[in-house]
Amino acid sequence: MNDFAYHRPHSVADALRLMSEVPGARFIAGGTDVMVKFNAGAPRPQSLISLRAIPELSGIELGEPTSIGASTTISDLLGQAELCERYPLLAQAARCLGGPQIRNVATIGGNLCNCSPCADTAPALLAIEARVRLASPAGEREIALEDFMSGPGQTCSPPDEILTQVLLPKTPPGARGIYFKKGRVRMDLAIVSLAALVVSRGDELRHVRLAAGSVAPVCLRLRAAEDLLTGERVTHELLARAVRAAMEAVTPIDDLRASADYRRRLVGVYLRRAIESILNWSEP
Amino acid sequence: MMRIAFSCNDKPVEVEIEEHQRLIDVLRDQLGLYGTKEGCGRGECGACTVIVEGRAVNSCLYPAPEIEGKSVVTIEGLQGPDNRLSALQRSFVEHGGIQCGFCTPGMIMSARALLDENPHPDKDEIRKALAGNLCRCTGYVQIVDSISHAGGGDENDGV
Amino acid sequence: MPAVETRMMASKLEYIGGEMARPDAADKAAGQAVYIHDLERPGMLYGKIKFSDQAHAKIVKIDTSRAERLPGVQAVISAYNTPEIRIGFLRDNFALKKDKVRQQRDEIAAVAAINPQIAAEAVELIEVEYEPLPAVFSPEEALAEGAPLVHETDPRGKKRTDNRLALGYHHESGDLDAGRAAAAHAVAGEYSTQLIQQSCMGTAGCIAEFDRNDNLTIWAKTQIPFLAQRDFNNALFAMDLRGKNTRVIVPSLGGGFGTGLDTHAYEYIAILLAHRCGRPVKILYDRGEEFARLSPRQSSRVRVEQGCDKSGQLTFRKIEVLLDNGAYTSWGATYPTVMLLPATSLYRVPNIYFDAKLVYTNNTYCQAMRGYGNPELTWALESNLDELAEAAGIDPLELRLLNCNRPNETTPMGLKVTTCGLRECIDTVAEKLAWKKIRRRSKGKKTGVGLASLIHVGGGGRIYRSDGSGLILKLDDFGNVNVYYGGVEMGQGLQTVLVAAVAEALGVCPEKVIINPTDTGTCPWDVGTHASRGAFMAGNAAIAAALQMRDKIFEHARELYPELVQKNIARKKKRDPAYNPPDFNISLAAKDGRFELRGGILFVQDAPDDPVLRIELDALLRAVHFREQGEMLVSEAFYDPPNELPDWNKGYGNMSAAYAFGSQGAEVEVDRETGEVKIIKLSAAHDVGRVLNRQTLAGQTYGALAQGVGYALYEEVKSERGRIVNPDFRDYKIPTAAEMDFPIELDFIETDDPAGPFGAKGVGEPGLVPTAPAIANAIYDAIGVRIRDLPITPEKILAALRK
Repeated sequence: MNDFAYHRPHSVADALRLMSEVPGARFIAGGTDVMVKFNAGAPRPQSLISLRAIPELSGIELGEPTSIGASTTISDLLGQAELCERYPLLAQAARCLGGPQIRNVATIGGNLCNCSPCADTAPALLAIEARVRLASPAGEREIALEDFMSGPGQTCSPPDEILTQVLLPKTPPGARGIYFKKGRVRMDLAIVSLAALVVSRGDELRHVRLAAGSVAPVCLRLRAAEDLLTGERVTHELLARAVRAAMEAVTPIDDLRASADYRRRLVGVYLRRAIESILNWSEP
Repeated sequence: MMRIAFSCNDKPVEVEIEEHQRLIDVLRDQLGLYGTKEGCGRGECGACTVIVEGRAVNSCLYPAPEIEGKSVVTIEGLQGPDNRLSALQRSFVEHGGIQCGFCTPGMIMSARALLDENPHPDKDEIRKALAGNLCRCTGYVQIVDSISHAGGGDENDGV
Repeated sequence: MPAVETRMMASKLEYIGGEMARPDAADKAAGQAVYIHDLERPGMLYGKIKFSDQAHAKIVKIDTSRAERLPGVQAVISAYNTPEIRIGFLRDNFALKKDKVRQQRDEIAAVAAINPQIAAEAVELIEVEYEPLPAVFSPEEALAEGAPLVHETDPRGKKRTDNRLALGYHHESGDLDAGRAAAAHAVAGEYSTQLIQQSCMGTAGCIAEFDRNDNLTIWAKTQIPFLAQRDFNNALFAMDLRGKNTRVIVPSLGGGFGTGLDTHAYEYIAILLAHRCGRPVKILYDRGEEFARLSPRQSSRVRVEQGCDKSGQLTFRKIEVLLDNGAYTSWGATYPTVMLLPATSLYRVPNIYFDAKLVYTNNTYCQAMRGYGNPELTWALESNLDELAEAAGIDPLELRLLNCNRPNETTPMGLKVTTCGLRECIDTVAEKLAWKKIRRRSKGKKTGVGLASLIHVGGGGRIYRSDGSGLILKLDDFGNVNVYYGGVEMGQGLQTVLVAAVAEALGVCPEKVIINPTDTGTCPWDVGTHASRGAFMAGNAAIAAALQMRDKIFEHARELYPELVQKNIARKKKRDPAYNPPDFNISLAAKDGRFELRGGILFVQDAPDDPVLRIELDALLRAVHFREQGEMLVSEAFYDPPNELPDWNKGYGNMSAAYAFGSQGAEVEVDRETGEVKIIKLSAAHDVGRVLNRQTLAGQTYGALAQGVGYALYEEVKSERGRIVNPDFRDYKIPTAAEMDFPIELDFIETDDPAGPFGAKGVGEPGLVPTAPAIANAIYDAIGVRIRDLPITPEKILAALRK
């Protein structure tokens, strides 16, 4: 406790240098996951290297791709009107993350690096087909978000790699997004979440990207369901088949929050409601 | 140990801290500002809410070193000169927004942050702004009323 | 016991019934109220407890040596180096555990250190070796043949043969068989309620401090300062400090809800540490300890059978209760004392059978929480009543009205009901819900309405030999009225009622009424702030003491009024030589003694309206004080209400001096695919006797409703093999403002009770008693699904829909 040091570098280069020089160091961004663990008694590393004061890691640049600095807080993200206009699905998901106090300090990078199966922004970013830029002493690289998240609480990054930017490709024109999150109460972890990004023409689906959270070790794309729906005219029967495919593809667990069975059912319900809503079908 | 300098309730402050401390520890233990309460230590209850750079945050999750160079406002900072309660605080007093009072400082700070950004919120907006503040005594109705009144509304504004 | 005029027939009440703001609200709004968390004493040390991580095990060894050597540690204690202190009303619990642990939260050892971090570190350094024992985690397991014994002996040392508690509750009235035979319809059901955490925002804690004469002062988060004083004096006795005294001081509390109705192991541990160290010791629970190591609300299993004749008149009621008592005994075990009220007296039922049994297990033991058995029993009764209504083909509203309680009737338990506004409450709720319009049975519907009622004690509750409440008024030279009252303000608004009642009954302005801290050293005895008795007791005691004080004031006024008026006249003449005093015989008026005191001004009734004839109270008080054989005015009252300590074996006795009634209704919408329940509207109509303060009454009711909603839909302490697996707000979900987003209609029916202060009855608990069954009944109306186990989760609804 007495040797503990908290560092606040002002550049990615400094952060990486500190990581290589300071023994037992870990990165921290907003801290809304990490500080909770420490307060709960988890052992603190010898040093923390904060990513909050690094200008390169904040800021949003619209373009192709749009680049969101990893240390951008969820509130700041929601405050960017044009970003929310271009990626309303991401905005919907971000609004569901925690309460105001959490959103004011939690960062998009932190949400992805914490890599919880319940991460709120992940399903939306997967449906958008986001990529992440990473920096380490070995250099920079860019990979699909899908490849970045490798397991519950586990990214593919080594401890000395920093997620610097979240990169969003342009979404197809006319795309509509819907995000569902089920919690036990309004401010809650996701019991189940589902993101859908769809381009439709009449009842024909041209582009379908579906992702779910809290129903597998990591948030995942529902590719089987996507394949069934893409390029097809949607009927109730086709939708039912896609729902079944989605329900079969997920591997939820029983835990103290919900049963696997319930989670699986809700994936199906939300998928069906998402497509029906996008197609403007009235409620049965 | 490190020395940090920041603005607290509009006054410059300099303290020596242990680097593992949280903002709530500095406020309560070093600055004697005990109005901010620790209710859970997990960012779930909001009793520790303060306003940093204009934004409501849970001070139990805020590493103290991060406050360097920033401004923080606590419940004590809302009062006017000569011990006068602010209009927002008076509204809580007048509209039954307080029972045991433990959640009150955090609740009022969340309300303050909301009103600074949205001076005339409707009740739905108020409830959303309070999503991170738990209260076990009031059932929230009179808290929402208090904030609504402070924002220029009345009981009949929405639900 | 002198007869006391407890009901003020005031022509016009000035402060009672209004919207006066709480006297303590400003401090709380400023963040200046001082809670246990904020209190410090010079030289104070910080205590922390080492808890068991086993549900049932022998303690083989405790090694505290590494903890003792940690710099900054002042003491490490365990049962092995401290005197044994037995706690709990059955004396089956211990401050520190010896020989074996019986639950996963048993206190094994404790540390006092110079700061909380060192204390926490030291606790980690205490090593305990256990030999696990087979454990029992349900009443069934505990009652099975050959089940391991949680307690091998009873508190007297006599060997036990099984896990059943000798404590039991029973009531029989009428003829159950005859009642059954007379029933055209009968429905039986099994209902259960879950463990609930009281979830005070301010966690538990205390500071214990000894003086050099070995007398103890303890700042405690308690609702029973005087019973705590007794408990702690017993502890001092066990510590060989015979004849030494405890002073209990109650600071601002971050909520109570029943958590302060017992004394806790952590308090005795703080006392032991304080004595060992010779310094004050503070123990403060963090949220995790609050969830996992403090006693929750009692869970219950209730089997109910009710029957009615063809017309819907109830003919019998049979109730069997089984309680998981946990490893030790606290007030959870006495919930049946309050269960008896709805069991025997909610609606008019002849032929009643009630029985409650308790079983030791290695689960957590339970303590009081708001409602204290009433929500548990009413959950079962009011759910079952709707089921009976359906079997009989009668509208649940009509069934309730048909069997409605009436004023001035004595119930099978011997409850002497005086005022009763239940009919009006039920009618009000039906109207607010548009009952007849909304209630229909049609396929595919997703909304529904349901209602439920309550009976509760409203005029105190004699569960101890004394149900008394003392109050002292002390006037000073400035006209301040110092109030010393032993009841506890925990947010419910007791201080508001005290100020209003004293101001109203005495005749002074509320600003002059000062409520002094609750402190056994200065306040008269009060049994505790429980059973919704606070306002009822405080109000009656205040009225009695105030009337006594008025007598004293008027007695002195007889003597002093003329000279004080002459002084007024002289002063006026000096300023205005042309002034003519009013034509009024001052001496005669004084001798007659027909005085009035209002707003701190003393005057003669029917006197001319001239300021010189009005005397300020403080002027009179100074005249009484500053003279030879002067006097200071103090008055006191000890109000002990006209109720009885019931015979628990017979389940009979008029437990309260008045009874609260009420009805609540819910309109809900259910999503058949996700199982989610959305509350569209709540209606609550409560017979409160008289509204003492609108703001606090509404606040108490809204707060109780929110707890009722949590009880019904969201909250559950989950225990697996004795371990609480959701010890935080992340996984124990209490309603937030976002959940309470529907209109709530509050209606307060004033039946003007003869025993109540200004006609008022208690209201602290009723607000959460019928909420859960009202919601469950509405869900049934919406989708035809009956959930009998709280909480009603979306998963349970989906599972029931699939059947």
